[in-house]
Formats: sequence, structure tokens, C-alpha cells
Amino acid sequence: MKIAVCVKHAVDEAELKTDPSGRPVLAGAVSRMSAFDKNAVEEGLRLRAAHQGEVVVFTVGPADSKKTMKEALAMGADRGVLVVADTAAIDTMRTAGLLAAAIRRAGPFDLVLCSEGSSDTYSGQVPPMLGELLGAAFVGYARKFEVSGQLVRVERSLEDSVERVEAPLPLVASVVSEINEPRYPTLIQIMQAGKKPLEELSGDQLLPHGEYREASVVSMSVQQSARKRVLIEGSPDEAAAKLLDALTKEGVLAK
Amino acid sequence: MSPAVWAYSENEGVSNEVASAAVEVAEGASAEAVVVEIGALREGARSPGAKLLLKGPASPQVSPEVAAEALARAAKQAAPMAILIGATRNGREAASRLAAKLSVGCLSDGSKLGTDGSTLTAERNVFAGKVVAKLSCPLPAVATVKVGHYARADAAPGETREVDVGPIQPLVRVVGREKKAAGAVDLRSAKVIVSAGRGVKKKEDLPLLEELAKDMHGALGCSRPLSSDLGWLPEEYHIGLTGVTVRPDLYLAVGISGQLQHIAGIKDSKIVAAINTDKDAPIFQASDYGVVGDLYQLVPALRKALAARR
Ligand SMILES: Cc1cc2nc3c(=O)[nH]c(=O)nc-3n(C[C@H](O)[C@H](O)[C@H](O)COP(=O)(O)OP(=O)(O)OC[C@H]3O[C@@H](n4cnc5c(N)ncnc54)[C@H](O)[C@@H]3O)c2cc1C
Ligand SMILES: Nc1ncnc2c1ncn2[C@@H]1O[C@H](COP(=O)(O)O)[C@@H](O)[C@H]1O
Repeated sequence: MKIAVCVKHAVDEAELKTDPSGRPVLAGAVSRMSAFDKNAVEEGLRLRAAHQGEVVVFTVGPADSKKTMKEALAMGADRGVLVVADTAAIDTMRTAGLLAAAIRRAGPFDLVLCSEGSSDTYSGQVPPMLGELLGAAFVGYARKFEVSGQLVRVERSLEDSVERVEAPLPLVASVVSEINEPRYPTLIQIMQAGKKPLEELSGDQLLPHGEYREASVVSMSVQQSARKRVLIEGSPDEAAAKLLDALTKEGVLAK
Repeated sequence: MSPAVWAYSENEGVSNEVASAAVEVAEGASAEAVVVEIGALREGARSPGAKLLLKGPASPQVSPEVAAEALARAAKQAAPMAILIGATRNGREAASRLAAKLSVGCLSDGSKLGTDGSTLTAERNVFAGKVVAKLSCPLPAVATVKVGHYARADAAPGETREVDVGPIQPLVRVVGREKKAAGAVDLRSAKVIVSAGRGVKKKEDLPLLEELAKDMHGALGCSRPLSSDLGWLPEEYHIGLTGVTVRPDLYLAVGISGQLQHIAGIKDSKIVAAINTDKDAPIFQASDYGVVGDLYQLVPALRKALAARR
């Protein structure tokens, strides 16, 4: 089974800095593998163990993304393809377009795995777009796969229900974090990852701009929280009484 | 380009919210807001805007794959300026597929949607809610609409038109669906929410918080790990970036550390209060009232004090 896994080198929101005018500083921002993409890599590795084959990781991002790719390779992926592009400046359609072009070029693949959403922008748009662009079946929010021959049975985790679907291969799917527990690479695996093949492509050469009119970010500003931050102290009974007094005064305790 | 803004959601309540968004966007461009229904009209859908029924699929319970194809076929004929879809899990898929089919840009999780006649604009939270981004996309465009942001309107349904999009053969076959929850919670309309985090040691302790929620005439919610990782509560209870966005009068976070992804879902609460053993927990920075202490002592103390005041 040939498995492609899409991993994003995502800005770490916790370490994101703000400039004096309240804008986030994206140039050189600390980035790492998007949290749930580890679950996608893990699932690829588990399916490879069960069905043989190969796991290839794909990333669209700046040259710095190699860090994230090496992490996926250390987890156990066989090789990687990095499409160099400024992720902050392109929209979801272009990201999906670049991934589709790179996957076609290195393919064909039976299964393309993504996660439900990237930890920095969490749009959940790239995976279904990728399904359409590759002309493959698509299943989102998968929490369980069962591959038998050319048919995949998938459990989807929706807001209020679990849906069971059947899809043919080739399939593009996005996984939720509850699907598995991602492994930690060992030191030896981390060292060996550097020797695994990692191909680098130019996004601009892979796919020309201008096929459609791209969405863009006009401006960004950091949100300020304006909470009162009153700390209440005392024994549990005292603290409980003080808290209820405060909430009553605010008029937020339902009668 | 005919001046119309389409609204669609597979979820009836969300469809009404998206209709409100479409009315707002349409006003900015002297366009018409049109609520799209697929397969059959849903009973009692009292949302503003004219209705467009896409016939072909047999029932309104369509998968996002079928919805996207039906919308794409109809849009290729009618050329609406924008198509807005509710940002539920299935809605995100339908919108993304639709944008790819039509080769147009797609905004995500938009609030404050608007247009100047040549672009669609929106605001959205990024970086786990730390940052607000203003987005723009040339028309025609697709966008998903943040769930819970637009008010649900109660309007007499407008005129209904029909168009036959023909039969659709999906690649993905739905073979079953089970409700996750017994008894649905409506966190979106709750006035008081008591929310449980990993500070709760075991599933058997949840009734403690549930009772407190009841005493306060509120609903129980939780952080993501309790539903997604531990499975103690259904997914629809989890609040935050990947869960429900809530706006109660009182949000009481119990044993929740207050990571950005959780805070993203409670920003519009009137008052946030928190109970946590760790005085440095980030939740206290995002709270109006914080109590440093053990929930196993404080929750019973709160229940006792509430009972004494009745
Ligand atoms: C892409 C992405 C999306 C995410 N989306 C969401 C989301 O939508 N919603 C969400 O909630 N999370 C989300 N998360 C997870 C989020 O980052 C945090 O991991 C999560 O919110 C932590 O949950 P918690 O506060 O319950 O647990 P913890 O972080 O483990 O905190 C437990 C807290 O309980 C306190 N505590 C322990 N014992 C007691 C006691 N006896 N009494 C009182 N306090 C006690 C501790 O001091 C601690 O602060 C997301 C993560 C990612 C990467
Ligand atoms: N730049 C990227 N490179 C590789 N994969 C990506 C990229 N952006 C998104 N993806 C994949 O698509 C998923 C959803 O991302 P998003 O649509 O941005 O929420 C991610 O978890 C990845 O699996």
C-alpha cells in the first residue's frame, strides 16, 4: 500500500510574538509539526505495518519545514517531498494545488492522509480540496480505518454522531486526534532520519499562479483579553461564599 | 454574474444562521440572499431569504460529497457571487470540495462577512484564537461561516424556486450513523456553563460537576481531552477551537488549565470564573474571578453555599 501523509510545519501559537503595533511577528516565528499531523503520520505507519508498502510525507512550506519533515522521517516515514512556498502568503486552494501536484508526481498513492485541521490556522479545507483535485474519494474526520482489498471502512467522528462509511481506494482522508497515540522517535531514529531521502521542489515551478484568484490575508492583530483577573482566597467555604457574592453582584447567577 | 448570495448548511439551525449572514452580505452588494435546500425542503425552516431547491438527490440528508456536487452544478448555471456554508465538520468538507470544483478561493470560519461588490471579506481567529485576521477573496467566492456567530432569525420563508441538478453518484457510501449522546446538550444557548477539565481525576467524579451545573441551572461542558482523548463525554460537550463556541453569562472552568485552544471557545462569555490548584495556570489570566484551590473541596463548598442561599 502506497501511503502519502501531508504534514504542515505550523507556527507555534504559544511562542508567537507581537510587535509594538499589536501585529503578530510571523517572520522567523517558532514553528513545529502541526499537532494532529502526528496522528496522521502514526496512522500511516500503522497501516504500512499491517499492509506493507511505503509512507511518503509531503509538506508545503518554507525551507525551515525540513525540521518537521525530519521528525516525520524519525517517526518512521520512508522519504519526504518538500514543496518550498511561503505558507503564510498562499491560500488553502493553492496549498492543496501544490500538494496535489507533488503527490501526482511521486505517485500514484492508494491512500493520502491529512489531519482534521492544522494547529495554526485550523481551516480543515486543504484535505477535501486535495481529494477533489486528485479525483479521489474523500472521507473527513476519520477515527478508525479498516482496509480490505480495494474497500476502506471508515468511522467518522462528527459533532453529535459517529458515521460509518465505505470508500474505494484511492482515498484521501483526514484523521482526528483520538484515532491513535503518536509514537516518539528514539534517539537512533532521529539520527537515522537525516539519511533518509528528502526531495525539494520549488512551488512556483511546480504549479503556475493565476489558475484562479487567490484569497489573501489583509491584516492581522493580536486579541487583547479584558478580564478582571480577581483572585479569591480563603478556606473552601470562605472562597465559595466570596465567589458566589461576586457572581451575584455581576448578576450572572440564574435565579 | 447574477447578484445572489447563497446560504447552505446540512444542519437546520446552522442553515438559519448562515441565512442571516447571507442577508448581511447581500445588503452590501444590493444582491439577493438565497437559502439553498438540497433534495427536499425542510419543514419549518423559518429563515430569511428566498429558497432555491436543488432537486436530484432524493432526500435532504445528503453527504458533503453530494451537497458539493449539487451546489457546483447549480452554481455553474446560476453563477451566484458568493456561496456561504456553515462551518460544521460536514460543512467544511462541502465548502472546500465546492471551491475546488469551481476553482475559486474559499474563506474559512468567517465572522463579520461583507462585500464591496468585487471581493468577499471576513474576519476569523487564527493561531488558536490569539490573533484576528481580516481576509479577502475575489468574487465569486466560497466561505464557511463560524457556527454560533450569527443570530438565528425567525422569518416567513420567501418564494421557493426549483432547479433539477440530476442524479449524483457519490464515491463514498454512508452505511450507518449512531448518535453519540443520550439527551442533547445545548451549550450554545446555556446561560451558565460549568466546564470540566483534566483536573477531574476520573469519569466517576463528573456527576459532582453535573450536580453543580444543575444547582446553577446551567449545563455541563468540558475541555477537549475529556471528550476526544478520554471519551468521558461526547464530542458535542467539548468547548474551544475544535469544539463548540459558547457565550453564557457565566462560564465556570473547573480543573481546566486555560490553553489558547480552550479559551478560543469562551471569549464571548460575559463572566469567566475558574477553579484551579495551580495559581500560575493560564486560565486565571483569562478569568474575571479565580479561586486557587482543589475542586474536590471547592465544588462541594459551592453546592453547600448555594443550597444555604435558596
Ligand atoms: C489543534 C488543537 C486544537 C485544540 N482544540 C481544543 C479545544 O477546542 N478545546 C480544548 O479544551 N482543548 C483543545 N486543545 C487542547 C488544548 O491545547 C489543551 O491541551 C487542553 O485544553 C487541556 O485541557 P485541560 O485544561 O482540561 O487539561 P490540562 O492542561 O491537563 O489542565 C488540567 C488543569 O487542572 C488543574 N488541576 C489538577 N488537579 C486539580 C484539582 N484537584 N482541582 C482543581 N484543579 C486541578 C491543573 O492545575 C491544570 O491546570 C487543542 C489542541 C490542539 C493542538
Ligand atoms: N502546508 C501544508 N503542507 C502539508 N500539509 C498541509 C499543509 N497545510 C495543510 N496540510 C494538511 O491538511 C490538514 C488540514 O490543514 P488545514 O486545512 O490548514 O486546517 C493538515 O493537518 C495537513 O495534513
